[in-house]
Amino acid sequence: MGVQITGIGIVSAIGKTVAENLGALKSGRSGIAPVQYLKERPELLVGEVKIGNAELIDKLAINNPNISRTSLLGLTAAREAWGNSPHHSGIRTGIISSTSVGGMDRSEWFYRDFLKQGNPDYEVLLCHDSGNTTERIARELGISGYINTLSTACSSGVNAIMLGARLIQQDKLDRVLVGGTDALTSFTVNGFKSLMIYDDAWCRPFDESRTGLNLGEGAAFLLLENDKSAAISGNKTLCYVKGWANAADAYHQTASSPDGKGATMAIQKAIKLSGVGIDKIDYVNAHGTGTKNNDLSESVALKNVFGDAIPPFSSTKPFTGHTLAAAGAIESVFSVLAIQHNLIYPSLNFTTPIAEAGLIPVTDLITDREVNTVLSNSFGFGGNNSSVVFSSTL
Amino acid sequence: MVYISAASGITHQPTFKNAGFSASLDTISSDTELVSPNYKDYIDAGLLRRMSKILRMSVACAKECIQQAGEIHPDAIVVGTGLGCLQDTEKFLNTFLSVEGLLPPTSFIQSTHNTIAGQISLSIGNHGYNMTHTQNTLSFEHALIDSIMMLAEGDAHILVGAADEHISFLDSVAEQLDVTLPVAMTSGCSFFVLSKEKTDQTLAKLTAVETYGEIQKLEEHLNNFFESNSIDPARLDLVLFSGLDIDACGQVLHYLTSRGVKEDQIQDYLIYSGIYPTASAFAVHYAVDKIGQDPSLKNVLVCNCMNRRNLGLTLIQSVEA
Amino acid sequence: MDSLKEDLKKQIIAQLNLEDVQVEDIDDEALLFDADGLGLDSIDALELIVLLEKYYSIQVTKPEEGKEAFRSINSMAEYIRKRKAESVL
Repeated sequence: MGVQITGIGIVSAIGKTVAENLGALKSGRSGIAPVQYLKERPELLVGEVKIGNAELIDKLAINNPNISRTSLLGLTAAREAWGNSPHHSGIRTGIISSTSVGGMDRSEWFYRDFLKQGNPDYEVLLCHDSGNTTERIARELGISGYINTLSTACSSGVNAIMLGARLIQQDKLDRVLVGGTDALTSFTVNGFKSLMIYDDAWCRPFDESRTGLNLGEGAAFLLLENDKSAAISGNKTLCYVKGWANAADAYHQTASSPDGKGATMAIQKAIKLSGVGIDKIDYVNAHGTGTKNNDLSESVALKNVFGDAIPPFSSTKPFTGHTLAAAGAIESVFSVLAIQHNLIYPSLNFTTPIAEAGLIPVTDLITDREVNTVLSNSFGFGGNNSSVVFSSTL
Repeated sequence: MVYISAASGITHQPTFKNAGFSASLDTISSDTELVSPNYKDYIDAGLLRRMSKILRMSVACAKECIQQAGEIHPDAIVVGTGLGCLQDTEKFLNTFLSVEGLLPPTSFIQSTHNTIAGQISLSIGNHGYNMTHTQNTLSFEHALIDSIMMLAEGDAHILVGAADEHISFLDSVAEQLDVTLPVAMTSGCSFFVLSKEKTDQTLAKLTAVETYGEIQKLEEHLNNFFESNSIDPARLDLVLFSGLDIDACGQVLHYLTSRGVKEDQIQDYLIYSGIYPTASAFAVHYAVDKIGQDPSLKNVLVCNCMNRRNLGLTLIQSVEA
Repeated sequence: MDSLKEDLKKQIIAQLNLEDVQVEDIDDEALLFDADGLGLDSIDALELIVLLEKYYSIQVTKPEEGKEAFRSINSMAEYIRKRKAESVL
């Protein structure tokens, strides 16, 4: 049974809709800029979604304003992906979101007040837990039943897609909205700074001079349906989820292994499951965070899998910033768009290959060739490595 | 069919390496503490020094569970946690909001929910599927559903468990929000090895797990659950129940008692586990232990409605059932 | 006994939660990041950078810079003295 993608929705630093994101990707316009909404020192470079919470609440017509930015961003993308799909008692429907910070964007403000011995609003904490961020989205969309949240740091978004595809494949659900959402927080900005991998300049994935990442925020969702559900909903198939895998690096708490073991396993297993020949991958949307460690390890993994015939690859994080749990979902939407519009995106800010690896990513938008099959990688803390393969044909 | 090959737990009860614990449990009082083993027996000192409570108890519990199953190599590690690594989250919040200058990174690294499953994979050198579910009170049930699917996809053994840790801050939150809890909040973790094949080791069968979020048609859900698993509620020997006779919980209780489940067959498990989001994992451990002690127990249902919007149902059967 | 090295050992034990390690267990020449020494890793290296700032007001901006300095207690003490001398000039 095929797992069809019939809807996509996205909100990121480069746009609040699929169309806006596509436009920015085509024109090579990055959304990373000095911080504007989060209270941090003004020169900090981040990929913020250019809209405040009050405006989001208004736009989404939310009744209970006790809601995290993570949920608001998630709901924005989820509504776009859901589109006008009908609710139908004959379609077993679920939702799987993923997040790493949950409601931390508001909890950290609560905690500031709490430490000041002021009069903190404890009600804020009701939307702290990650599960709640998904329940809020489900409630607004009228989805009940299978409601779940995954949290595996930076690989979460791809894991949500994988779990959704498996639920459809095993005939547990007919339709499932899958994705990820994370708001930018001082918690994560300071966290990555403490790891000394937050770049003060624009991030430069796969470049010899790279020194770290820029954080971003956003959300993306994809609507997955089986044949039965698509027949009832009438939604058009955009492309298929063909292969997926998750593997543990089991090397170190934060660092990726120098031999790229976990990443290699994830990529190989996902391609194998997809049944697509290894030479048929037209584009690899890499994890490519811009940290010394990830980009080298990922380069080694790409060489392990593809040898000398590495497909065109790039990292889109210089457009959006690293959006943590949302990254895998956002980059999956970019992968779907790559297939729909025959696009291969540039890796912005690249000039010099990494000496040990020598790999050169795509640096200019490619529009003159067919893109039928795309591999997207997402690797996270704790050695959590995931890959997913999308294809235009079943 | 899915078989439970091993079960282990570190909780506020003497659950660890203590088969038969279910026979002699006292109700949790507000001053109980986690009954911890000597963690050095299970965890390398180099890793242990950084570990918060939830990480220590999870890694030790997971390792003991694997030993119990005969040193199997799990094909996947699946963890459910409602609130994740609270100690480290609280610590890093304190640090970055109060320290000027460079910040120590360890608590940030360990604040992510998947640190638990990640540390287990690191401790046993496991490269398999590694997943973390966090759907508050249903996190454990979701981890079980994922594990059952992994077995259906061809895996032989899955290490699956749940963990949540209590920090004193949670007590102030409950107080400030005027939440009256029937028992104290606690910490706890339970791990299980689920296997595709039955062996001499097999403790029980995990027959069915379902979750219902944002409950709408409760009775329909319950009917479907019993019908699709071909079991009449009247055949349940024991129902492990969470929560009080209110809202959805009350409706579930009424559903069961009106279909032949006697009231003395319904046992509240929260009075033994204390309250934490994944306490239903304690209930599954309790059920497996009971089945091991009492051959007359064939069908045990864990009914988790700790959160009134959500329902988790887990059916455990004796090997003979 | 060199008091700087003595202090460093105490600070390292506290910063890295080396529960079972005593000051006398750490040899001045032992390789801190070697399995035969303290067996520290890259997270510890970051914690040591924090330690240098906290107790000695020394800023290490690039993690790689710390690598050589953190070889052993001797090299750390030497690095601290050198940086302190530089800041006086």
